[in-house]
Amino acid sequence: MKQIFFLFLLLSVCVSGNAQTPIDSIQKLDEVVLSDVKLKQYAPGYKIEVLKDSVLKTNGRSLTSLLAFNSNIYFKENGYGMVSSPSFRGTNASQTAVIWNGIPINSQLNGQADFNTISTSNYSDIAIRSGGGSVQYGSGAIGGSIHLNNNLQFTSHFDTNVRVGYGSYDTKNGSISSSYGGDRWSVILGIAYVDSENDYPYLGTSKKNVNGAYNNVDVNLNLGYFVTDNDVIKLYHQSFVGDRNLSGTISTPSQSHYKDRNHRSLLEWSHLAKNFNYQVKVAHLQENFKYFGTQTTENYSYGKVNTLIVKPTFNFRFTESIQLKTSVDYTKYTAEGTSFGSPSRSNVSATALLNHRLTKAFSYGVNLRKDFTSSFESPLVISVDTEYEVSKHYSIQLNGSRNYRVPTFNDLYWQPGGNLDLIPESSYQIDLGQKADFGFVQLKLNAYYITTEDLIVWTPNKGVWTPRNIAASESYGAEVELQSEYQFNSHYFKLNGHYSYTVSENSTTKKQLMYVPFHKANVSLAYSFKKMSMFFQYAFNGDVFTTEDNIKDRFSSLPSYDVSNIGLEYRILEKPQQQLSIAAKVNNLFDKAYQNVAFRPMPNRNFNIQIHYKF
Amino acid sequence: MKNIFLPLLALLILTFSCSSDDDTFYEEVVIPKGAYENGIIVSSEGGPSSISFISEDLSSSENNIYFNVNNEDLGVYLQSVGFHNDLAYIITDTNHTITIVNRNTFEKVGTITTGLQTPRYISFLNGKAYVSNWGDSADGTDDFVAVLDLSSNTVENTIPVGEGPEQVLANGDKVFVSHKGGWGTNNIVSIIDANSNIVDTITVNDNPDEMIINNAGELVVLSSGKEAWTGTETLGAIAKIDVNNNTVISNFEFEMGVHPNLMDYANGTLYFQTSENKIYTMADTDTALPTTSTIDLTTAYTYGMAVKGDRLFVADASFSSQSEVVVYDLPSATETHSFSAGIGASKIYFN
Repeated sequence: MKQIFFLFLLLSVCVSGNAQTPIDSIQKLDEVVLSDVKLKQYAPGYKIEVLKDSVLKTNGRSLTSLLAFNSNIYFKENGYGMVSSPSFRGTNASQTAVIWNGIPINSQLNGQADFNTISTSNYSDIAIRSGGGSVQYGSGAIGGSIHLNNNLQFTSHFDTNVRVGYGSYDTKNGSISSSYGGDRWSVILGIAYVDSENDYPYLGTSKKNVNGAYNNVDVNLNLGYFVTDNDVIKLYHQSFVGDRNLSGTISTPSQSHYKDRNHRSLLEWSHLAKNFNYQVKVAHLQENFKYFGTQTTENYSYGKVNTLIVKPTFNFRFTESIQLKTSVDYTKYTAEGTSFGSPSRSNVSATALLNHRLTKAFSYGVNLRKDFTSSFESPLVISVDTEYEVSKHYSIQLNGSRNYRVPTFNDLYWQPGGNLDLIPESSYQIDLGQKADFGFVQLKLNAYYITTEDLIVWTPNKGVWTPRNIAASESYGAEVELQSEYQFNSHYFKLNGHYSYTVSENSTTKKQLMYVPFHKANVSLAYSFKKMSMFFQYAFNGDVFTTEDNIKDRFSSLPSYDVSNIGLEYRILEKPQQQLSIAAKVNNLFDKAYQNVAFRPMPNRNFNIQIHYKF
Repeated sequence: MKNIFLPLLALLILTFSCSSDDDTFYEEVVIPKGAYENGIIVSSEGGPSSISFISEDLSSSENNIYFNVNNEDLGVYLQSVGFHNDLAYIITDTNHTITIVNRNTFEKVGTITTGLQTPRYISFLNGKAYVSNWGDSADGTDDFVAVLDLSSNTVENTIPVGEGPEQVLANGDKVFVSHKGGWGTNNIVSIIDANSNIVDTITVNDNPDEMIINNAGELVVLSSGKEAWTGTETLGAIAKIDVNNNTVISNFEFEMGVHPNLMDYANGTLYFQTSENKIYTMADTDTALPTTSTIDLTTAYTYGMAVKGDRLFVADASFSSQSEVVVYDLPSATETHSFSAGIGASKIYFN
């Protein structure tokens, strides 16, 4: 499918310009379509799973619900829709990077991305890249990274998708996205809105989630224009405006309220040529939160960071099989907030990525990066990765890397406690992957080892909590990913499953880290027949410890849980010009009480109906 | 028909017996011992907050006694516990609640949920209780002391006071309130006339917190002073106040860099802990601060302290794992016992 898509694109771009240098490879097409080319081209030894548009649309609208059922990543969510943080391969939330069109967007304040402030509605695809990626993506890409991609199509087209839905807890959602394009230009505009009372009952009690209402709007605008046959200018913009009440715990209802205002813009100019491409990116990110302790108060605390990134990139293709990408980027962060004054930081980093396809079956990459930061010393990071195609059905991937995570603004400047003597967390890892492809079944098997030192931990020091580089951790584990598709007459089946076994322990105490389950698994089964399709999703999360003691009692751990969803879709109208479908979904089908953060229950069985119209 | 029924029944039983493995997840089931009549009560802030019990003879202990008895959680954060007659009043600040239990059985008697906002400490006088409240912690002007009617367990009156009222101590017909300052800082002790509810204030060193009445009938107030990290370090002090005319009799200031944190009074002796994590003792008649320490603690985060007889109890708090309560023998200055407690163990009381 993807090949056909690229071929189609290739054809259309070739046709578009007469005097244009023939664009002759998928590599250049990537430059045209994608903003983050290195995700595809400079990662032969990495496990990358791409969740396509169709998967994004049938799952929840937040990144949390999407990934909880479609990846190996474990989530802890402070109640449904509340602050959500991932644990990727046993690492913590600030060691998982979220990359928007090639630009890292984790908060500079706490180092994390809140996966419930990322709407999945307006992306072409979302990729999950397992393993260290600090060379390519900078600070925080230790466990892995999540990539939100908007792909621009330079073909003549005009499509509009409209979705409206209604569900339990007075949940209303709607989205509209239009994609419009020609030979030389492309426009995508998408708006998604969701609003929910989110007042689900806490199963087994007489209480409910009284302070959980949320609403948010996500706007995406993406433009691309060929100025000349070899020069394309692209603009990506995304704004997220979210208002949430923050749920309390079972015994302590909360009254607090939180506003997120995140704006991201990226302007990119690429010059495309056969042997030498260059590109300049300028990005501006703004994250902004306001926290209100009660519903009635006008007093709030806030934090705001502006990030400016200027990034020239040069891509050399020495031969058909060797290419080198170099970039020097300059980043300036300017912060202000209630608890940390108005610090700023600048960073220059130099990166070189070399990719060599030695034979048709064997390729490798060697990648280097060095950051120069105004506030502390960052390590030289390196990664080496390789892929060997043993046979048509079986290949081996191997990568090793050094990665890091810089102290956040909170770590450095929080009053009281901020510590200017912190150094970046430093991590080494190795990851061995095997891929088997038997046509209708694809299987991926990975085993990894990660060791991280100088972990930043906040501990009390003379009555003041202060962060220090005091802990070290080791994670190792195995992951299985299975994809299978099967068609029989008009019956179409698709199976997708993940299992992971994760040991992640404090190197000194040898105890499993908090909120890292040993076992996590999920399975999705989709079936379609003529105008009907349905899916069933199942996720299992093993026991977790909620304190460092590794004591199994209700004050120190959470028992395992499993949760299932089911969905049904009927396509009323299926014409090339117009499509109309209606879908219904039942979440938590078996009405199970579960928590993934202690004392914060998740929703009971709930329902949702969606209408989708495409023209 | 019967031939099918029996195997079906067997299958049914098997299914149910297999699916009940949820219960086996927890390794131990703690059975309440019943009486918490004599012993040490340790409250832990959380979350989850909890209360632990250590028997008077230090031979046994039990964590999570409130949960074990009542099968419910208290909410966060457990700030303090007040004892009056047969009842204990457990104050949790973030859920603005006082949970009332029988102090001997820890069975829940009732809750007070209206009229409180970020409650901190409680003290009792003439059928009433006085509860300090921060109000909205972001607002420095809405702080108050709530007056509870103990017969109806309702807030019958609120008395506005300065920012950050912390500990409350009722004595005679006066209620003393130390103003640690909440999220900010303050340097006053409020004196509420319990008959008229008129508030007078005395200025002391910055961040007054712990208070006791000594055997001479004086009010002793410990002020931590502002720590160096605030940017404007000020001196900590122990002030003695004449409760009749609300004036400072004497004020013992610490040297710059040393800040007293915790204080208790027993055996006619004042015990206090400083930022150097040392315990000092001071007699009522002493005219200067002690220069040599009684015990140099080895606890990582000394978060609570209490003295009874020859025993000094110290809460060594952890917020990511179980805390520890360490018992010292005062005459020999040696550690004799230690017990586990909940997350963020903070206060030690004697029942």
